[in-house]
Amino acid sequence: MDSSILRQLKKIAGKDAVLDKPEELMLYEYDAGVDVHRPGAVVFAQTTQQVSQIMKMASEKKIPVVPRGAGTGLSGGAIARREAIVLSLARMNKILEIDVPNQRAVVQPGVVNLELSNATVKHGYYYAPDPSSQKACTIGGNVAENSGGPHTLALGVTVNHVTGLEIVLPDGRVVEFGGKAQDSTGLDLTGFFVGSEGTMGVVTRITVKLTKLPEHVTTLLAIYNTVEDAANTVVAITQSGVTPAALEMLDGWMVRCVEANVHAGYPEDAAAVLLIELEGMREVVEEQAKAVSEVCLQQKAREVRHAKDEKQRQLLWLGRKTAFGSVGRVSPSYYTQDGVIPRTKVPYTLAEIERISKKYDLIIGNVFHAGDGNLHPLILFNSRDPVQTENSRKAAKEIMACCLKFGGSITGEHGVGLEKMGLMTAMFTEDDLEVMIRLRNAFNPDSILNPQKMIPELHFCREITGPLPKAKVEPVEGVFA
Amino acid sequence: MSSVVSPASVDRDLAAIVGETHITHELRGFDISGVAPSVVVFPGSAEEVAAVLRLANERDLVVAPAGGLTKQQIGGVPERVDILLSTTRMNRIEEYDPGDLTIAVGAGMPFAEMQRKLGEHHQWVPCDAASPDHATIGGLLATGAAGPLKSTFGHMRDFCIGIQFVTTDGKVVKGGGRVVKNVAGYDLMKLLTGSYGSLAVMTRANFKVFPRPRQTRTFVCSFHSLDEALQFRTHLFQSPLTPMCMEIISPRATEYLRNAGTVHDPDDYAPEQPLSLPAVEWQIALRAVGSDTVLARYARELGSAVTRTLEGPAEDQFWSWISHFEQSILARHRNAMVMYTHMAIQSVGPALQAFERAAPDYNMIPAAVGRAATGNLVLAFMPLSVDPPSAMQYANCVSAFRGLLPQGSSAEVAQCPKEAKNHFDVWGTTPTDVKMMRAVKKAIDPKNILNRGRFIV
Repeated sequence: MDSSILRQLKKIAGKDAVLDKPEELMLYEYDAGVDVHRPGAVVFAQTTQQVSQIMKMASEKKIPVVPRGAGTGLSGGAIARREAIVLSLARMNKILEIDVPNQRAVVQPGVVNLELSNATVKHGYYYAPDPSSQKACTIGGNVAENSGGPHTLALGVTVNHVTGLEIVLPDGRVVEFGGKAQDSTGLDLTGFFVGSEGTMGVVTRITVKLTKLPEHVTTLLAIYNTVEDAANTVVAITQSGVTPAALEMLDGWMVRCVEANVHAGYPEDAAAVLLIELEGMREVVEEQAKAVSEVCLQQKAREVRHAKDEKQRQLLWLGRKTAFGSVGRVSPSYYTQDGVIPRTKVPYTLAEIERISKKYDLIIGNVFHAGDGNLHPLILFNSRDPVQTENSRKAAKEIMACCLKFGGSITGEHGVGLEKMGLMTAMFTEDDLEVMIRLRNAFNPDSILNPQKMIPELHFCREITGPLPKAKVEPVEGVFA
Repeated sequence: MSSVVSPASVDRDLAAIVGETHITHELRGFDISGVAPSVVVFPGSAEEVAAVLRLANERDLVVAPAGGLTKQQIGGVPERVDILLSTTRMNRIEEYDPGDLTIAVGAGMPFAEMQRKLGEHHQWVPCDAASPDHATIGGLLATGAAGPLKSTFGHMRDFCIGIQFVTTDGKVVKGGGRVVKNVAGYDLMKLLTGSYGSLAVMTRANFKVFPRPRQTRTFVCSFHSLDEALQFRTHLFQSPLTPMCMEIISPRATEYLRNAGTVHDPDDYAPEQPLSLPAVEWQIALRAVGSDTVLARYARELGSAVTRTLEGPAEDQFWSWISHFEQSILARHRNAMVMYTHMAIQSVGPALQAFERAAPDYNMIPAAVGRAATGNLVLAFMPLSVDPPSAMQYANCVSAFRGLLPQGSSAEVAQCPKEAKNHFDVWGTTPTDVKMMRAVKKAIDPKNILNRGRFIV
């Protein structure tokens, strides 16, 4: 990175807020996904004004900027190239206001997801979207990725819980979208911005909805002898008229993997388990628990367990929330997919994944948000074995092809980022992508902000986007290159 | 670009696209704030919409997309409307699998028709906007329409999971998909919902649908003052109760929540003593869902606050009146003004106080219903039949009321006499950056042919 740029960054954000040594930058060359690139510099902004100054300077000098929260993303959205500056929002981590009467909180982007709930629970409220990484991931990152989580089945994803944003545009201009009101006159730019993966602006302040804590919560564990029965139960529950707060599935391999790690109390000989959470008024939950248990048993569940107390409930969830970490203990590398399919296709798709697993002789574990058809097959491989690595990519491709065949999506909550850019053309036409690029250019005309992410810049787009910024297009080193 | 277009040649070209029988010059009922379109076309597919828009774009013709015409009068007075583009022929259910809880429909399908189809499987899209027999899917999306169910379910943007639309350069574009969770690409559904036909013409939409509640009951609670009603609301927020709808009803709104007797001249119908204190009170209506046990608990916990309990057809009728409050007002007062307001939850009190204070200053009677839990109020200003206000008085009234609204609120005038519209900005201010809205409009409709002069952008 040019030393005059580093000097200016230090002048804006302070000496201790800029990293440029290789050993420091190494920590910022990856996220929780597969792509790895070392950035040119990292700067930690502490105020909106600093973000604005940094963006203005970068725009003038045409230096790409990649915003970053906690780096827990799974699609390479926060990965920057050598020519680029990583703009970390991790130090903008204050909860600015908890406004209980208006059921809102105003936070800086670096606030950790779970910390917000921890801060509001004493008022009887919490922040509903709960990605598995909620102990580390930031609300700013959640806004960029429109993050989901197990409890978004009934309550919706991040976009359903954000009502206001303060955003720094690439040219340094600070704008407001929405506020504490549920909605406002004019275009819904707040809703449009959420999920734009840092390609439209840098979010510096977020107003979120707080959700009233339910009076009663109960968690059921339904145990199955076949994956198919569990998958059929998912369809049957959604058709029964009950919308659980969460409806998660782990297959037998995942169950054993989790048990070996955290002893959540899942039966190790099960072919699959469903974790079903119901919440709301006590009477409603009790009735639903009864109805759901019956559905499970009708669909040949071997057993349905009710968490007896909060401790048991937390233990059941511990198994689900640490599933990815548990896999890390048994396999040197794994590759997480994020495909979505219509709910009725869950049984068939799981059978397909089983077939693909056998075809490539790879273990594929399944742990996913069954209620909304959002699959997370984890393909295990040894990255030092070139054949296995290659096969894992082929397997992933086949799984995605299967999702798309049913009108599904390549990503339900992890984002496109770098990783899935090559797959966008399988879902969208050139016209679709061109309109998306035109809209992005209204915010980010020179593609200074998070360039070459999310929307592939195909040949046909060049004349619309104008000259590309300094960071030249390199082949994406993701799985689908 | 200035161009002289021969209407005959435009008609010929339009007819070539959609067929002679799908173009009309019989314009009764199609005017927008008093401005009649030159021609009305009814394309039958997204491709035909694309061809119409390409033609309009090339010749700088102003296009107004239209569905069931239930909200077409909203917005500024257009300078001109060259083509009114009706989506009503694109009215099919494209795909529906009850097990997936998703449905794909043409933008021109009447909302009630889709609901009927979903109802066969005890499912619904939880939206209770007005005039469902006429209002189309595309129109409801374009206007971000909602009714009392918004309290729990949100509005159209929260159910729309995929969309197909046509841009002014004739591209058929899609966003989202057919699955309930999807973050691939930008969320074009959010952008187009509430864009009032100013960005593109929607041709198809996919929704996530929900199981329909099997049993509901409505508890109407009455209070002597707005303060008491709002205290009750606070008490509800703190309780474990989770009603599906929570509607606040102002004293004078009550008489618009019933069938009118014989209405002679619209403005003859007015309360006897409009500016004296009315006999009825502030009300909060709660609609609860659940089994007998659950509903019994509501009755127990709400206790003596409940003055009326409604079930079955009477209950459905009550909520339909709330959804049609605006229509009920306009049927009886042709010169009434209706505003849609958006505000923080705690701003509901100050806003209603401001409303009750501002309206009489300008010879208007105030009546309001609204979503007490989300801060979306529908406000009706009814002019007195004696001494009706001038156009400027509407403008002054709007300005005075907006000035009294708490910060961060926005208030758009949805209905008012067209003569008054030229004297003020019907959209008003908004907390969202308008410069950015205009940049988005320019990116997608650079020649501003869609609803020119009508929306905020």
